[in-house]
Amino acid sequence: MYTASKAAFATLVLALVAAASVRAQGVNGSISATATVQSPITVAGAQNLAFGNVFPGVAKTVAYSDATNGGRFDVTGQGSTPVTYSFALPTNLTSSGNNLPIGSWTGYVNGANSTSGGSAITPSATPAGASLSAGGTLFFFVGATVTPANNLPAGSYTGTVTLTVSY
Amino acid sequence: MRGLRYAFVLTATAFMPLAGQRPLTVTGIQSLTFGTLLPGMPSVVSRTDAVKSGRFDLGGPHDTQGQVTFTLPSVLTGPAGATLPLSFGGSDAGYSQSQNIGSQVGFDPNQPFLITFSGQGRGSIFLGGTARPAPIQRAGSYTGTITLNLTAFP
Repeated sequence: MYTASKAAFATLVLALVAAASVRAQGVNGSISATATVQSPITVAGAQNLAFGNVFPGVAKTVAYSDATNGGRFDVTGQGSTPVTYSFALPTNLTSSGNNLPIGSWTGYVNGANSTSGGSAITPSATPAGASLSAGGTLFFFVGATVTPANNLPAGSYTGTVTLTVSY
Repeated sequence: MRGLRYAFVLTATAFMPLAGQRPLTVTGIQSLTFGTLLPGMPSVVSRTDAVKSGRFDLGGPHDTQGQVTFTLPSVLTGPAGATLPLSFGGSDAGYSQSQNIGSQVGFDPNQPFLITFSGQGRGSIFLGGTARPAPIQRAGSYTGTITLNLTAFP
């Protein structure tokens, strides 16, 4: 009887240990959390579109490929990433309430700072799409034509060309 | 002998409930995905976002309870060891006994939470969160590991 009781007690202890080990049972699993941070886009007006001196009644054109007078925007962002761009273009340059019409916009976009190896664009026909270079650069070149009236008053005429770029 | 007989009865009582029941399982089903972020612009993923929220599927004895706890990263790690702060709010986790993302009970993933397995011994945990890239956050891919721990109460 004594032996049987000891055996019973031992079995009971084993049972409790087993139950306790079951109670402590736990499992786990994992997932990933992920994010991709892009470089922010920057747009810098690098060079003004400059017509210099113009004369009443004489239209003047500056080509986008004019390295000295053509307008240029420098864009940086995430490499090899598509972007959407659009231009806000003036229809006149102004001076003291006088208007100098501007139009016939031409343009060029390239991943490199060059007017070759890229694509011709029509600034007045945007939004449009382009892609940043592998190095995260994009260059826009802009040209246009001004048409001074025969009676255009002398003065310094200015206008603003705005380029907006977004992912 | 009577003592021995009682011992066998007790032993059987201790082990019988486990026979034929689903084992405890935790399976990572879907990553918590913040997608593309811009520096300085926080991004929130809701636990009810079917595409971006994280998901774990649980298995265990039907109609029993278990306790879940998370091991949550405070940052995601990116290029050259750059870190992106990550946080989890008081209702960013949700439990669905029916494994339906549209039928969750929200809870705080920073605290232990008691779940009850369905009649089929299943359940799912969904997880959202907030990533806060700094204004000068380095560009690149960031990752972290989220672990869900499940302890059963048989």
